[in-house]
Amino acid sequence: MSRRDLVGATLSFPALALFALFAIYPGLRVFYLSLFDYSLTSPATFVGLENFRFLATDPRFHEALLNSLFYTVGTYLPALVLALMLAMALHRRMAGGGWIRLLYFLPVATSWVAISVVWRLVLHPHGLLNQTLGLDVTWLTSSAAAPWALVIMSVWKETGFFLILFLAGLSRLPREVFEAAQVDGAGAWRRFWHITFPLLKPVTAICSVMAIIRGLQAFSPQVVLTDGGFGTEVVNLFVYKTAFENARMGRASAVAVFMFFVLICVTLAQLRLFRREDA
Amino acid sequence: MTALARTGRVLRWAAVTAGGLAFAAVLAYAAVSAVKPAGEVLAVPLSWLPSSVEWHNIVLPFTETPFARYFGNSVFVGVTVTLLNVVTCTLAGYSFSKFSYPGRNVAFVVVLATLMVPLEVIYVPLYALIYDLGWVNSFAGLIVPAGTSAFGIFLMRQSIDTIPDELLEAARIDGAGVLRSLARIVVPLVRGPMAALALFIFMMNWDSHLWPLLVAGDDDHRTLPVGLAAMQANNLGASGVPMMMAAAVLAMLPTVLLFLSLQRRFVEGVAMSAGLR
Repeated sequence: MSRRDLVGATLSFPALALFALFAIYPGLRVFYLSLFDYSLTSPATFVGLENFRFLATDPRFHEALLNSLFYTVGTYLPALVLALMLAMALHRRMAGGGWIRLLYFLPVATSWVAISVVWRLVLHPHGLLNQTLGLDVTWLTSSAAAPWALVIMSVWKETGFFLILFLAGLSRLPREVFEAAQVDGAGAWRRFWHITFPLLKPVTAICSVMAIIRGLQAFSPQVVLTDGGFGTEVVNLFVYKTAFENARMGRASAVAVFMFFVLICVTLAQLRLFRREDA
Repeated sequence: MTALARTGRVLRWAAVTAGGLAFAAVLAYAAVSAVKPAGEVLAVPLSWLPSSVEWHNIVLPFTETPFARYFGNSVFVGVTVTLLNVVTCTLAGYSFSKFSYPGRNVAFVVVLATLMVPLEVIYVPLYALIYDLGWVNSFAGLIVPAGTSAFGIFLMRQSIDTIPDELLEAARIDGAGVLRSLARIVVPLVRGPMAALALFIFMMNWDSHLWPLLVAGDDDHRTLPVGLAAMQANNLGASGVPMMMAAAVLAMLPTVLLFLSLQRRFVEGVAMSAGLR
């Protein structure tokens, strides 16, 4: 190794030091902590798999899991479908196309908490949503409506994000593909199902994995809009409350370990999807 | 073009425009509500035009709450974290791309692996670590752990990979050292990706809520998301609504303005975060 390479190697140290201390060390430690009964102020007691056993039978945790699942599917399935439809419509040149895209991108540039504050007003019984649609729903104070209220708001916030990804994906498809299909006289639906959609598959795969991860990470809207009430306590909020309000850090770590495996599975599924694409 | 195709185009245009306006209506509603007289924000029927425009509502967050402090904290933390990321990621990207040394590929793969694990999974032990370091309720706790990013390192390495080795070889023959080559050749050639990275990190940080709530929940260090959530909890009555709308709109302004002025870079940044560019 030359002296020059040695100097070059040292340039990675700041980043690697930060990673080692603030990502890898806590990442390993979470496995260790999940085996203890532990709060910041008292000494840790080894409890083996007790935390996992507790979670397996805790109805509140199960509810949080189901709520996360409902939120993720309810938000991201419509957001992805809507984003794909919009991308198909918006990727071609049209009058004012740039401006129209901008309207959909704007929510992406806002922050979750600020937007949640705004949506508290939108979802008020006398707010924009009820008055525009002529409804009389108490969106944020009923278990029947609150989960849907969060879904509606999040679809509004997230569609633009996936629209950007689909537009980027469409812009990379060779133009000839569309032209050839048009010349062959295939109708718009046939062109979409047999050509565009299959070609977009890698992008759709990335989008769905990002969607699942973003859905499972949800925290801010649930805190600001309902504070986890009315059937909206998601996993992340459950971990937060378990660790910092009830000081059961071991139990919270066990949830993190569980979520770690869930996310690994999601990522591996993504890799499989890609491999099939290459074959 | 057939009449049918033309009708289809017009319909498509009308649909996406109507949808876009519906999306934007929420933001317009927030902006209008911020300058309405308090009694009018929740009036039935809904009025888009207030009977009088109460501009002084906009200063309420500043006079009634520590909003200016939260805002300043967010700007300070956001700018510092962004600068740190641009520096650490560019250095690491350069190191991983243009030098060979034992362990380089392993280190890079480990960095990439952390991309799969979001903060949410490790925040309990991370908090315990910050607690042990004595960084709870300090800017250090907000800034240092966010000082680098796997995505940034990956992005900078990919970008620097495109610079031909011959260019750096020539500089070396001219007597340029490692850092001089970085400053004179590499950085000017990867300004675009650096800017996209900076914008992306700033936006992410501006949005960050959970971690700041944990490590810096006290009034002196609260960032905007944490501060806004606290203000919201204290102002649930109707009289607080215009102030909260003003605060929310002001909190969105920096990133929305950045987005409007750097739209292309923003879109690039989002697409790159998904590995699409």
